Amino acid sequence: MASNRWLTTGNYFTSYKQEQRIFLTHLDRTGFLIFLILLFVWPLVFPPSNKYMLVIDNILIAAVAVLGLNIATGFAGLISIGHAAFVGVGAYTAAFFAKTIGDSHVFLTHAWPLVILLSGFAGAFFGAVVGLPALRLKHLYLAIATLSFQMIFTWTINFMDFFDQGQTIPIARVFWFTGEVSRKEHYLFWYYAILVILILLGFMIRNLLRTRYGRCLVAVRDNDRAADAMGMHPGLTKVYAFALAGFMAGVAGALHAYLYRGVGIESFSLHESITYLAMAIVGGLGTLHGSFWGPAAIKMLDLFVENISEYAGSVLPATMNLTTALRPLSFGLVIVLFLMFEPRGIANWWRIFRSYTRLWPFRY
Amino acid sequence: MMSYFFQLLISGIVVGSIYALSALGFVLIYKSSRVLNIAHGQIIAGGAFITYALTVWADIPIYISFFLSMIITFFLAMSVERIFLRRLIGEPVISVIMVTIGLMSILDGIIYLTPFGSENFSFPVFFPKTPISFGGVSVSWTQLVGVIITFLLIAAFSWFFKKSTIGISMRAVSDDQLAAMSVGISVPKVFGLAWAAAGLSAAAAGGIIGNITGLNFDTLHAFGITVFPVVILGGLDSIIGAVAAGIIMGLIQQFASGYLDGHFGLSGTAEVLPYIILLVILLFKPHGLFGIHEIERV
Repeated sequence: MASNRWLTTGNYFTSYKQEQRIFLTHLDRTGFLIFLILLFVWPLVFPPSNKYMLVIDNILIAAVAVLGLNIATGFAGLISIGHAAFVGVGAYTAAFFAKTIGDSHVFLTHAWPLVILLSGFAGAFFGAVVGLPALRLKHLYLAIATLSFQMIFTWTINFMDFFDQGQTIPIARVFWFTGEVSRKEHYLFWYYAILVILILLGFMIRNLLRTRYGRCLVAVRDNDRAADAMGMHPGLTKVYAFALAGFMAGVAGALHAYLYRGVGIESFSLHESITYLAMAIVGGLGTLHGSFWGPAAIKMLDLFVENISEYAGSVLPATMNLTTALRPLSFGLVIVLFLMFEPRGIANWWRIFRSYTRLWPFRY
Repeated sequence: MMSYFFQLLISGIVVGSIYALSALGFVLIYKSSRVLNIAHGQIIAGGAFITYALTVWADIPIYISFFLSMIITFFLAMSVERIFLRRLIGEPVISVIMVTIGLMSILDGIIYLTPFGSENFSFPVFFPKTPISFGGVSVSWTQLVGVIITFLLIAAFSWFFKKSTIGISMRAVSDDQLAAMSVGISVPKVFGLAWAAAGLSAAAAGGIIGNITGLNFDTLHAFGITVFPVVILGGLDSIIGAVAAGIIMGLIQQFASGYLDGHFGLSGTAEVLPYIILLVILLFKPHGLFGIHEIERV
């Protein structure tokens, strides 16, 4: 280790432990801490309107879900076109409690962290079950197996009377130490709740990737036969990657249910699954912070397109529904352009920026 | 009771043959380039709309416009391959899948910009209105002609693959790209041709579906997803498999909605049964009924 613990001037690692540190220098750690503090403080300084707070909450929830998808698809290489169904499993677990014990039962309103955790486990269970075909299937076939889980999930919910055939099932407002969270501070409250959960899960994943299990995932992605030969268990690793992805998705689903105070099937359609995949790709597959860039970029694009088409609608005489056309068009273009020109996603831009600032004023 | 059964049988075969024709597009592309084109439903819809525009707006006789739209989608699909997929040769599977998903979104957006995006259209009637009935079972002329055209096309495609030079070179590429290249086959050209052929079959499927059920973008592009189970059941790289699986799936769907819906408190079973079958097939016979064994277990 170099004597300077604030700035790196090269590779001076003398042990693997040093190389695996989460923060390379004190500067990184301080910067990250300041960033976290800013995340917590800014809504108090510049209180945003409810509309934008909802968008930000949505980004954070999507980040939780994409974090899971990135484990399965980015790190373990298992394409999942059914991620929204796992999110749906989480949301419908909350809805299940709301249906059986009443939507304003103490369990749902006071013990909401427990409900979120349970939803996560429900997601993990379904993830593991759906992951079982991964023992036999690879690549394309596996993608289609997850797609069929998505279809079966949608049909099951649409068909079951218990879940109101996909109609919205309400969930009551939650209680906090200060009493019931009111309508005015609902989005702000959930911003903090989701942020805390996201940070916890983010650290969990970051640490997981430093362990034997995390390295197993990457090894299995890169070459599962070689991984097998090196004494890892590829089948188990795949199922367990799916379970982890399902856990994250389940948590995201429960958060979604609480944020919207209701669960309806249209939030968990095939289109949403594709959106999650797009987020993972735009952010950068196989990178941890890609899971945060992707959702932000896609949701911002959505907001941007909505504003643009609103503006265009006011300028142009009302001829056609621009929003329905521009949404898929811009979404598809973003995916295709990223895949063609920057397959490593926004995370790669961040990496370039980082290495530039680290080396400045030198070029290399 | 018996005539109800035969009615379901007939409509199962009609639906199934359309499935077979749509599945053909997937198989053609997968066979040569190992790409699963998720945007196939959109290409089918595009072909159907071009046929409609040529027949109704440009007032061209249906047979000519049918062929014209096939030719147009031939070049459209070829250029899609040229623009989007050519530079992805050799990239990981996920990139290729995602590009076709992105393509699906782009084509969705483009179609929503045209008047076809939101409304229902129906072709004028070309054939006698009175259906052919036989002992309580009836088939409309449109359905009959549709099925006949489907089988003619499929026969033509399988002949093309078996006998013609281009077809043989396409099979060679699907077998072993490196070997094909070393005997002088242009692999990118074959990929382009496979897409073009798929576009051609998609336009035919679109025209036939449009004539039978009317044109609605939502139902047409849903077709692209519905055909997945068919392709997997038949095996991703087998034309015969696509035909057999198409008809099996059509029959299963029709019988399911005919006998299961409304009983046992079930509804919409026709939508979900193909996916359940798909999962079972993937678990027990992952390469499908007629596909080549290439799944490895780890």
